[in-house]
Amino acid sequence: MTTVKINVNGKRHVHEVEDRTLLVNFLRDTLGLTGTHIGCDTSQCGACTVNVNGRAVKSCTMLAVQAQGAKVLTIEAMARKGKLHPIQQAFTECHGLQCGFCTPGMIMATAGLLEDNPDPSDDEIIHGLEGNLCRCTGYVNIVRAVKRAAELQRGAQ
Amino acid sequence: MEHHLLEVDGMRVSRREDLRLMTGAGKYASDWNLPDQLHAFFLRADRAHAKIVSVNVERALKHPGVVRIYTGADAVGAGYTRPLTMLTFKGKDGMQVRQPERPVLAHGRVRCVGEPVAMVVAESALIAQDASELIEVEYEELPVVIDPEAALAPGAPQLHDNVPGNLPFEFEAGDAAATEAAFAKAAHVTRLKLAVTRVAPSPMEPRACLAAYDPRDERYTVHVHVQGVNMMRKQLAAYMNMPEDKIRVMARDVGGAFGQRSLGYPEYCMQMLAAKEIGRPVKWVSTRSEGFATDSHGRANYVKGELALDAAGNFLGLRVDWIADMGAYLTPTGPVSHLRNPSTCLTGVYRIPALYGRWRTVLTNTNPIAAYRGAGRPDVAYVIERLVTQAAVDTGVDAAELRRRNFIPPEAFPYKTPTGSTYENADLPGLLDKALKLGDWQGFAGRRSASGKAGKLRGIGISTVIENTGAGLFPKDQIEMHVAADGTVTAYTVCHSQGQGHETSFAMIIAETLGIAFDRVRVRQGDEDHPLIGNHAGGSRSTVGAGSACHVTAKKLIEEGKALAALELGVEPSQMAYANGAFRTAESKRSITLADLAKAKKFVVTAEGSFSSTFPNGCHIAEVEIDPATGVTQIASYITVDDCGRVINHAIVEGQMHGGVAQGAGQVFGEEVVYDRATGQLLTGSFADYYMPRAGLVGEISMEEHPTPSKVSPLGVKGMGESGCTASLPALTTAALDALRPLGVQHLDMPLTPSKVWSAIVAAKAGR
Repeated sequence: MTTVKINVNGKRHVHEVEDRTLLVNFLRDTLGLTGTHIGCDTSQCGACTVNVNGRAVKSCTMLAVQAQGAKVLTIEAMARKGKLHPIQQAFTECHGLQCGFCTPGMIMATAGLLEDNPDPSDDEIIHGLEGNLCRCTGYVNIVRAVKRAAELQRGAQ
Repeated sequence: MEHHLLEVDGMRVSRREDLRLMTGAGKYASDWNLPDQLHAFFLRADRAHAKIVSVNVERALKHPGVVRIYTGADAVGAGYTRPLTMLTFKGKDGMQVRQPERPVLAHGRVRCVGEPVAMVVAESALIAQDASELIEVEYEELPVVIDPEAALAPGAPQLHDNVPGNLPFEFEAGDAAATEAAFAKAAHVTRLKLAVTRVAPSPMEPRACLAAYDPRDERYTVHVHVQGVNMMRKQLAAYMNMPEDKIRVMARDVGGAFGQRSLGYPEYCMQMLAAKEIGRPVKWVSTRSEGFATDSHGRANYVKGELALDAAGNFLGLRVDWIADMGAYLTPTGPVSHLRNPSTCLTGVYRIPALYGRWRTVLTNTNPIAAYRGAGRPDVAYVIERLVTQAAVDTGVDAAELRRRNFIPPEAFPYKTPTGSTYENADLPGLLDKALKLGDWQGFAGRRSASGKAGKLRGIGISTVIENTGAGLFPKDQIEMHVAADGTVTAYTVCHSQGQGHETSFAMIIAETLGIAFDRVRVRQGDEDHPLIGNHAGGSRSTVGAGSACHVTAKKLIEEGKALAALELGVEPSQMAYANGAFRTAESKRSITLADLAKAKKFVVTAEGSFSSTFPNGCHIAEVEIDPATGVTQIASYITVDDCGRVINHAIVEGQMHGGVAQGAGQVFGEEVVYDRATGQLLTGSFADYYMPRAGLVGEISMEEHPTPSKVSPLGVKGMGESGCTASLPALTTAALDALRPLGVQHLDMPLTPSKVWSAIVAAKAGR
């Protein structure tokens, strides 16, 4: 067992965890933040994507102890004070979600993608989302949503 | 119906459910927890066919934190051995189904990799998993059969004592003699042997279940993903030999389903037993790897098809010899889907005087097959459309023209097919005209030549398809509707969305019928405090069934409201008029609102309807470009013209089409569940090995509608959730083959992976 201190969504958490605990299980089971989903066990699907120290990270690819001292943002922190984040706004406007299971990971991956590239082309979006699987939308509206999110974030309405 | 962005809590969203799903507030099966819960882990068979000599759990039981371990003997002791069957009709020569037993934990023998052999219940999921590694299972290996044709052959390894020849059910449809006669006078016969490959439906949410038991009322509560609570409850009750009212099924958000999540899986029954015996809730969350091995697979149909034509290109007869691989056991939906749906639509969109099909279901040492988006409809459409395009090639007729020549003409509807179904309506020539224009069929030669100059092989493919939707397991669909004192209307349904957005589209139907604002309507799904008769969401039936019932119930609400309002105003109900949430008399200026009536007394209405199959139809045209140097295929364009009757929510319908086409494209270009033929080991056991469609596989899709409203539903709707899969399998495959045909490639089975395509190109070139 190890004591981890992790800042999640602006709040400091101190917990004893088994060394083998994955960050995603720490978020879901220890903190009860079930918005981060687990869609596979081989780090392919991206449903568990969160932001760790400013980077989009699949939270099944790191142990909770590796996030010692880190700042973690999850989907629960994206909408603020009754206002959707521009990426969330874009996903709903473009009908970029159906069952919603991949959506938190898609949104967090999109945030990372747009941080690196605020005005991505279709090909750059497709490349950027290669690590995120969706079974419902065929990705057509997800690609549209990412383009729209980039527009919204750049301030164009 | 007009649909704008909706205001919910001051935020603009396009669907009611979006707000919670986008903010991490969705609640899926694995998100449920109960105080004092235990965790289960299933030890699974690591071989495909073996006698279980012994299962030794002694060491595992001593592992700290382990509460109890169950084995096949416990499953058999509890009597959990016979799953529900929907094969209640007779097959060929009066054959009754030979239903193999399937103890919820394997007992005596394992018949496929992944079959659960023991269940460890412990204080945590990790403890349960650790302990499972201490269980010693001694097996005695048996010969394995993976290929369904081989399983039917004499001398094949036999899976179940009560299923001789591995043939649990044989079925036929049509007229064998008439079809034989039609083929005898044919000027040309096209023959193909086709594989509609085994695929993994793979909704993004892994399976999960939390079972609890309350001894006070002797009832189970099961938190699990569903397509409808009724379907799940019925299966669990049947498997466990108990009355349905002993089980409460609880679900809110479901992370995709596609038919795979309609099943009452064996694991849930064991969890329920343990929850009762131990007296604590038992939770299990599947891994994706377990899912690939044990969540039902789809398709796996192997078909010899023949199409007979006269000298003028008129279809005379169609015959199929169909082998449906069922895996090691029969699921409730698998056999019935792969027999009934193909036989219902065996004539496709064509007037074919003589039809005959023979279906053999086969058991193999593989994971069981169940319904997967389309459930036999994409399979039969694929067979028919591949035959028609091949016949066009063989006889030198344009593929669109051959279709047009043989369409069921608009005036022939309602059309009774030779296999006994009745297609309601369609305008096939109109559909085709629109599609040929949208896809610029005439301009293809120019585009092919431009691609050729760039070193690419370009091909065009077309499909014109129809499918049956809408009818269900339960005889009717009920809706319960409450009016609150503030005028809010809440509708309860047992039809459960898995992403289709019922909370939005059903609310739109009710708001329109009642003439009230959308934000005054709420839809609740699968609330066990409001038990109702009704079907699950499957077979594209939600809007046709539950959606139509929403309309019918809203109408009844108005009629009952008129009677109540008339009483209040001292007039006859016939004098009352209703509009926009208020009742008025013609004479007086007084009015009474829905809210007023609900303030006076509880205002609840339940109504129902029985809605049979609708027949959505469509024409899809795909163009692909193949790079001969790599064998990589790109979808260059994809257009759809569909008749799904009246559209309630265009964004949702488009989204369903996108998803269906992408699933079809996935199957055509990469997806395939592969078992090692010698050992039965699963070779595609994770997303690392199994091809999944990714962003960019399908680009923009150009869509047009060509509705002929259905009279089955008062809304005029037809089911459309599966149309994308049904039409895309043949459209994309025929496009790729069209690109390869100039090189001499006539036939390839899906998946058309770069390796397969490249090898075919190389072989074709070498053959010249």
